[in-house]
Amino acid sequence: MTVLELREVSKVYGDGPAEVHALADVSMTVDDGELVAVMGPSGSGKSTLLTIAGTLEEPTRGQVLVGGAAVSGMSRNDRARLRRRSIGYVFQDFNLLAGLTAAENVSLPLELDGMPGKPARAAGLRALEELGLGERAASFPDELSGGERQRVAIARAVVGERRLLLADEPSGALDSANGEAVMRLIRAACHSGVGGVVVTHDAQLASWADRVVFLRDGRVVDQTAPIPGPESLLAPER
Amino acid sequence: MSVLAAERPGPVAGRGSGAPARRAVIRWGWRLFLREWRRHVLILAMLAVAVAATIVGLGASTNAVQLKADPTFGTASTVIILRGSDPRLGADIAALRARIGPVDVVAHQQVAVPGSVSTVDLRDQAPGGRFDGGTLRLDSGRYPAGSREVAVTRSTARLFGLEIGSSWTANGRTRRVVGIVENPLDLLDQFALVAPGQLAAPTSVSILTDWQPGPGDGLRLPSGTGMLISSRGKPGTAAVDAVVLALGTLGLLFVGLMAVSGFTVMAQRRLRALGMLASLGATDKHVRLVMLADGAAVGIVGAVAGGVAGLAAWFAFVPTLQSLSGHRIDRFALPWWAVGVSLVLAALTAIGAAWWPARSVTRMSVVAALSGRPSRPQPAHRFAAAGAVVLAGGLALLFFSDHGSEQRRAWFIILGTFATPVGLLLLAPLAIRILAAVGRHTGVAARLAVRDLVRYQARSGAALASVTLAIGIAATIAVSAAASDAPRAAGNLPTDQLMVYTSPDTPSDQVPPLSPSQLQTVTARLDALAGAIHARAVVALQQAYSPAAGLQPAQPGPGGRTVPAGYAAASLSQVTVQGHAISISRVDPLYVATPSLLAYFHIAPSAIDPGADVLSARTDLGGLKIFTPEFHAGPNPQPGSLPAGRAQLWDVTPRIQAFKQLPLYTSDPGTLLTSGALHRIGLEAVTAAWLIQAPGPLTGRQIQTARATAAGVGLYVETAAKQASLAPLRNWSTVVGILLALGVLGMTVGLIRSETAGDLRTLAATGATSTTRRAITGATSGALALLGALLGTAGAYAALLVWYRSDLSPLGRVPVANLAVILAGLPLLAAVGGWLFAGREPPEIARRPLE
Ligand SMILES: Nc1ncnc2c1ncn2[C@@H]1O[C@H](COP(=O)(O)OP(=O)(O)OP(=O)(O)O)[C@@H](O)[C@H]1O
Ligand SMILES: [Mg+2]
Repeated sequence: MTVLELREVSKVYGDGPAEVHALADVSMTVDDGELVAVMGPSGSGKSTLLTIAGTLEEPTRGQVLVGGAAVSGMSRNDRARLRRRSIGYVFQDFNLLAGLTAAENVSLPLELDGMPGKPARAAGLRALEELGLGERAASFPDELSGGERQRVAIARAVVGERRLLLADEPSGALDSANGEAVMRLIRAACHSGVGGVVVTHDAQLASWADRVVFLRDGRVVDQTAPIPGPESLLAPER
Repeated sequence: MSVLAAERPGPVAGRGSGAPARRAVIRWGWRLFLREWRRHVLILAMLAVAVAATIVGLGASTNAVQLKADPTFGTASTVIILRGSDPRLGADIAALRARIGPVDVVAHQQVAVPGSVSTVDLRDQAPGGRFDGGTLRLDSGRYPAGSREVAVTRSTARLFGLEIGSSWTANGRTRRVVGIVENPLDLLDQFALVAPGQLAAPTSVSILTDWQPGPGDGLRLPSGTGMLISSRGKPGTAAVDAVVLALGTLGLLFVGLMAVSGFTVMAQRRLRALGMLASLGATDKHVRLVMLADGAAVGIVGAVAGGVAGLAAWFAFVPTLQSLSGHRIDRFALPWWAVGVSLVLAALTAIGAAWWPARSVTRMSVVAALSGRPSRPQPAHRFAAAGAVVLAGGLALLFFSDHGSEQRRAWFIILGTFATPVGLLLLAPLAIRILAAVGRHTGVAARLAVRDLVRYQARSGAALASVTLAIGIAATIAVSAAASDAPRAAGNLPTDQLMVYTSPDTPSDQVPPLSPSQLQTVTARLDALAGAIHARAVVALQQAYSPAAGLQPAQPGPGGRTVPAGYAAASLSQVTVQGHAISISRVDPLYVATPSLLAYFHIAPSAIDPGADVLSARTDLGGLKIFTPEFHAGPNPQPGSLPAGRAQLWDVTPRIQAFKQLPLYTSDPGTLLTSGALHRIGLEAVTAAWLIQAPGPLTGRQIQTARATAAGVGLYVETAAKQASLAPLRNWSTVVGILLALGVLGMTVGLIRSETAGDLRTLAATGATSTTRRAITGATSGALALLGALLGTAGAYAALLVWYRSDLSPLGRVPVANLAVILAGLPLLAAVGGWLFAGREPPEIARRPLE
């Protein structure tokens, strides 16, 4: 089943001489359990693609369907509900809310959705434990390392019954070992049935994906299976 | 795995959030509040200061001006003064009672203070009279009863060395002091109180009544004697209420603005975190809730803290205000409704102020919020157009606020006071744009600072608005204080001077001449006195008289004393001729500009224009005449039959030469008759007084010595009279206004700067030195202060022009020093402060904090 579908999506920023075509007629689909990597030079529209897919921004033209439902017809509140129930988002650096512990950060989408505090906290703790962060559950974000923060962000992005995981250079600020760990977690999430889109510059990390989409000047120029790297051989078969 | 979460029915389907979501969001807001308490302290302090300042301002403005009662009238509207010597006084009063209804009768007798020109009022007044309205209060002891008891005021007790239990002989009667009393509405009212009906031969009797003389309402007494009727009309509370209303409105506006500028900065800082919350699926309502929870916490804490601080400051200020205004102040006589309203509104405005930026956050795209990008500033001209309309509307409301009913007036004043600054504040973005255009060609630091002000228009606009308002209030106080301040120095004499007169009626209309031997004795005694008090100078003062008029007979003077026979002295007077009636009122006594007096004032004789008749520092003497009485008898100046060709003797229009160094005190020899004029008019000089200059303020003991000395040789001493003046209050409120403006400036610049730490970090990374950092902060605060000062002063003048429109001349008295401080000093101080303040590298530069 398709979790995400973009139909001829275009995004134009600014107007007049300052007009920027960030995306031009991009179409793509992501299925359950599929991990798609998005690559391309800087300014090619990768982040824009992700924010539009994540309903954080509206496309200038085209259709976005999440779980088969068209986003364009939704109200702001409907989209907010979609985000807290179905879409998990991982940003490059700024991910966690200061003032909330790791566990509270993870359980926040559940609580926003109306789940009472206790079960939500328990679900958050479980998600953290699955990512090996059970001990850090009570730590505040500024007490965590960069890699730990990204792992907490991933836990938050998959907690509950999320179906779509969007990650914009989740390992950008991390060293290669940590970056790989993050990628492994995303891969694992997709194995459990979540559809994933990961923006990355790193071909090695992209090789964890089932499919790589190349963007240039806002257009999809190529879609390939990844170059098999040594890591992909280590990756368990899907 | 085909069921998507989006299709799953939510627990609370419609709103999808419910209590758990609200709890989670509020928990996060509370944690943020705890994390950022330092930043909140700034906003809290701003709010609390505004609330406190409003309370103190309300208290001062309500109480500085006497309200319902008057020190002389009490609550009565008319006072009728009868001569005490009237043999049928009792019958007259009875007749008045029958004619005009209930009255209070207060009898007076003057008691001379030996060796002094001052007298004490011996008063026969029943405590708790119908109209006494707080003009009599027992401080300690008890009220007198019977013929042998008296109560005195503190100043009277000091003057005669009395205390409770001591006995006092006044006007030939000895009484025991049983109490200390005061006139709470005029603490300088110096009197002694006897039991009702115990004043045998009063000098005068005042009758207090609610009756008001109408046109053609002739009052006639059975005895046929004359009387003096004065009415004060309706108690004038309207003007006071207007001030309180306007001040309350301004205070609340101030509170609101402080909150708005604080929360705008706060929202900008929280932008990314709020964007993050939204990206997690929080609805707009949730996002607003975070800010509202914050606003409520800050608002309630700020209002309570400000209320407590304001009341504490007010209670501490009451004694000072009491001595400044010269009347007793009930510390609980606050406009409580206004205080309560300002507390509630402070909390509400904080919530509203938090809601506003929250609203704009929810209106921008999540991505824009996440990137911390400020939303595109609204076009400045749109604000400016709205501002111009609102400003004009506000001024129009003020303009028409003195028409119509009380109710309408109040609303006009409230709305006008509100709209005028708001209109002005809407001009803030335009002002920032103009500044940016001007600053384009300056150095990198100033350019960066100004460009940031434009980029973050929401927060810089709010900051500028609060600075403008603070400065506007300071400027309004300063300008209106200068406008209502008469150019004359308040007071009869400086505290370090002593005047000694030959006549008890001073400054003398009638100068008794001293014989050469008398003069010698007096001079010797005064020199001894001068030695005893280490005087710097003793200057003999002469007055002028017409030799043609001759010696005037002795006549009764104040306090039952006699003014000895003497010459009628020339004075500067208002002479009005209406048909056959000539009315003459003396404005200033004239002293002869003797060489020793000129030397005392450091005026070189060569500096005097040979054609000048009068020298003075006063600027309000135009139209006055030199008046020399030439009548032959009687105390009231009535021009007698004048010898042909001598008419100018009692009516000369003088040429006045200004000398700034001459004093403005009413009893000082500040208006001088030149020796040229003396000869031209044909007058002669007679020694009338001496001025003794002490090295410092005279002590009570020195004054007593002087009185004793004077009494010994038949002279009379005058010293500085303590008097109530609100001038210090005005000066202080100007200072406080300026300090408030500076404080607001510091807070807003501090807030803005802490928000731009990221930019500063980038700058540091590009190799900028701490000098650049200092320069940017200095330029930011300097620019804000300059704009605020210009806008605030302009606004103050606009409002005052409307207020004073019927007579603009008071506005001609410009408080140059205060305005210089506001227009030049404040921006300079702000720039220097910013420069110094930015010296310490903020920790954010080294490490960006997690948000
Ligand atoms: N809010 C915006 N306003 C104007 N232009 C924008 C905005 N956001 C993105 N752009 C422009 O859209 C284009 C695509 O931006 P995007 O952030 O998607 O690039 P990217 O592929 O993620 O680049 P990078 O790899 O550097 O992150 C760029 O040219 C960018 O300048
Ligand atoms: Mg990007």
